[in-house]
Amino acid sequence: MATAFLDSAQKAVEQAIQRNLKGLGYLASPAPVLGASAKDVIVSRGPMRLYHYQPLTDEVYRVPVLLVMATTNRGYIFDMVPGQSLVEFLLLRGYDVFMLDWEAPRPEDRGLGLKDYVEDFVGSAVTEVQRTTGEDDISLVGYCMGGVLSVLWSGLNHAAGPKNLAVFTTPVDFQQMTMFKAWSDQRYFDVDRLVDTLGMAPAEMLLTAFDMLRPAGRASANFALLDNLWNEEFVKGHRMFDRWSNDMLPLAGEYFRETTKQLVWENALLNGTLKIGGRPVELGKVTAPFLHVTAEHDHIVTTGASAPLIDLIGSESKEQVVLKGGHVSLIAGPNAVKRMWPKLDHWLGAKSV
Amino acid sequence: MTDTPNLDPFAMARTWMAQWEKAVNEHGTELLAKPEAAQAMQAFSGAAIQAQAVSNEATAKLLAAANMPSRADIEALGARVAGVEAGLARIEALLREMVPGQTTTRPAVPRTRKPSE
Repeated sequence: MATAFLDSAQKAVEQAIQRNLKGLGYLASPAPVLGASAKDVIVSRGPMRLYHYQPLTDEVYRVPVLLVMATTNRGYIFDMVPGQSLVEFLLLRGYDVFMLDWEAPRPEDRGLGLKDYVEDFVGSAVTEVQRTTGEDDISLVGYCMGGVLSVLWSGLNHAAGPKNLAVFTTPVDFQQMTMFKAWSDQRYFDVDRLVDTLGMAPAEMLLTAFDMLRPAGRASANFALLDNLWNEEFVKGHRMFDRWSNDMLPLAGEYFRETTKQLVWENALLNGTLKIGGRPVELGKVTAPFLHVTAEHDHIVTTGASAPLIDLIGSESKEQVVLKGGHVSLIAGPNAVKRMWPKLDHWLGAKSV
Repeated sequence: MTDTPNLDPFAMARTWMAQWEKAVNEHGTELLAKPEAAQAMQAFSGAAIQAQAVSNEATAKLLAAANMPSRADIEALGARVAGVEAGLARIEALLREMVPGQTTTRPAVPRTRKPSE
């Protein structure tokens, strides 16, 4: 009993000392370098950035992979630090990896709409990947709204669409995103006034909306940081994810207006009535092998919002997988390393030759 | 079973915090999802947008009086620069296409990999 008491006391004192020492180190140390895998920026136009990562193997799969990032956040969530980078994982597994990433739209980009993001940005990224690799086939892998853009492009280009289509936590029934639905209620939310006045959906507004999905989330995360200051791995992970989640991007005005009206208010993607540039988005005509990975505890894209997608896609070979984790931990961090990344590699490898 | 006391000063706070977080998230989201909350939020943000619009108009008048370019003028200049950038990008793409076999600056890696299993 006395030994156990002493052990417990010793552990508590050691943690308290470490908490203080590491806490000082945390305050004094620079921010972690994220998104540092070697790459070429092969397109930089408006808010669009297309990266080509340098291979890490002597030979690569024939079919290149194009990661499509969500338009609200930075793509370095796919490439945090060595050992916690999906990009690095895919490179080491022998894929030729590209990423369609985003910068903050400039004032003159306020007129960019869904058509520009889907037909122009995703479309020209696909063309550029094909040109760079000399391969017509391509695997599209999209996350959240990047998944929506990938699905939309595939639904417009089903004849010459991707060879493989994989998306993560991709919403299709926007009426099931109950909080966003409530906050964008047409009776109270004047999207036209917002866009016409500001030209953009400000990043601060989007960050506040995401924060309000879990009102206690930020306070709780800060407490967890204080509690775990002695734990170097925890602090490192917290810093990476905290930086990423606060590094939000504004959205181009027209894109936000059209997303709000067509996807949220009309629920046009679910209803099959969505047209982009006058052309119908025909998900039922998508024939590429399809994988949709969702997270069991996703508080942003709820299961109700993402689950119907699998039935809308026409592919014969299609699979929906629900993995443990949340909206972000599904794709990055220790949970992703253990669960989603191997699943993606297993599904994609055989289809990439 | 052990009776070893937990001497971690954070232990009690940890338990309390977990309960607080659960309660605030549950009740907070319930409250925020109500139409009244949405109405209040939009009224607040509507007022902020209105204030921004008035401020934009006043600033534009001030800049015009001082014979300085307005935000709209700068945006128009930005759009022209973006047009020039887009033109350059098209020229770069055309130039790359004119040089056969020079799609990347690095030697090509053979695209022959097969799954290991």
